[in-house]
Amino acid sequence: MLLKDLRVEWRTREITTSMGLLTLLMVIILAAARSDPTFAPAAMWITYAFAAAVSLGRTFAPERDHLAALRLAPLDRGLIFASKALANWIVVTAVQVVSIPVFGALFTEAIWTRLPALVLPLMLGGAGLAAAGTLYGGLLAQARLREALLPILMLPVILPVLIAAVAATAAILDGQPVAAVRSHLQLLGTFDMLFATSSVFLFDALLDE
Amino acid sequence: MRLLLVLALILVLAGTILALVVAPTEAVQGVPQRIMYVHVPSVIAAYAALLLTALASAMFLWRRELGWDYLAHGAAELGVLFITMTLLSGSIWGRPVWGTWWTWDARLTTTLILWFIYVGYLVVRAWAPGERGARAAAVIGVVGVLDLPLIHWSAILLRTLHPQPTVFRPEGPAVPPSMLAPLAVNILAFLVLLAALLMLRVRQERVLGRLVEALEGAP
Repeated sequence: MLLKDLRVEWRTREITTSMGLLTLLMVIILAAARSDPTFAPAAMWITYAFAAAVSLGRTFAPERDHLAALRLAPLDRGLIFASKALANWIVVTAVQVVSIPVFGALFTEAIWTRLPALVLPLMLGGAGLAAAGTLYGGLLAQARLREALLPILMLPVILPVLIAAVAATAAILDGQPVAAVRSHLQLLGTFDMLFATSSVFLFDALLDE
Repeated sequence: MRLLLVLALILVLAGTILALVVAPTEAVQGVPQRIMYVHVPSVIAAYAALLLTALASAMFLWRRELGWDYLAHGAAELGVLFITMTLLSGSIWGRPVWGTWWTWDARLTTTLILWFIYVGYLVVRAWAPGERGARAAAVIGVVGVLDLPLIHWSAILLRTLHPQPTVFRPEGPAVPPSMLAPLAVNILAFLVLLAALLMLRVRQERVLGRLVEALEGAP
């Protein structure tokens, strides 16, 4: 499964590039609209959410025309979701890493100085975005629908991630310790686990023929 | 089924009369408070419909019998209808009573997000007809309901972050006994209406399914 994961990841150069560029553009546009440091948490997560919603639709692009082959593969279909979601999580994390210098430069250097504390919210939030994007991406591929529908399906459902992540990021940038945002991190963690588990089961039902 | 429709009609008429004429006028809010007799039944019917969508979706994913899909689809449509009514009636009620059309109260936020999730369900059904779309939509239906507690949890979090208007009581006053009977009748009316419309819709889908099958051969 690890091999498949790596193989899938290699192919995601396409997703990584488009998500990365879109992220950079959004940082710049949002900073131009309002460079107030208190806007930084919201700007960060709006950027990540929209970049993910627009780019993760490509997750199943290679398989789109050969879904039958995917169904016949000697793999538990839940594993297909898991490996794609994991690969997407890595992509989202990579994009977050690249965006941190730019956010820090355009909004507030606290993003750099508080980075160790920000790691947990960034990763847990990113995982939620990746999981949702992979599930709905697969759903759209299976139904032969346009990838452009991904934001419509994904964004309402990830509202908990956005609210919790923005609140946690804001508190940490404000100087509060990670312990202070435990309940936010709990929300993020619960979302990630719930989504990942149910997606593994639902993927099985989705791709079954 | 026709009986159910007639019953629904009678109950809605009775409920409306009770709400507008018979029920007492509330002391603090005045006449606008009567919107409660539409708003509360709407939200109850909406949640009933959406719960039904989720259950029928799960059954469809498990059993693959189209009957479950017809039920899920009809329930989702009616759910969106009743959520829309809930949001609009709540907003109209809020303006004179709270002084605002909207607020980020946990329940309002959750209901709004639910609207988007189930509109997404309908969009997928509309653009991917047939069994493939049915399966995709079923997943949306199930995930939507699973996400509900998390949405509500985060909405409560949001509420504590945002400043609230000072003259604000989203919970509203407790319902006095003289209003309970009209409210109960209206709730029953909406639920019977939901059932009647749902049956109508499911029958429509069934007939349509048979028609398509006859015209195109195997589905």
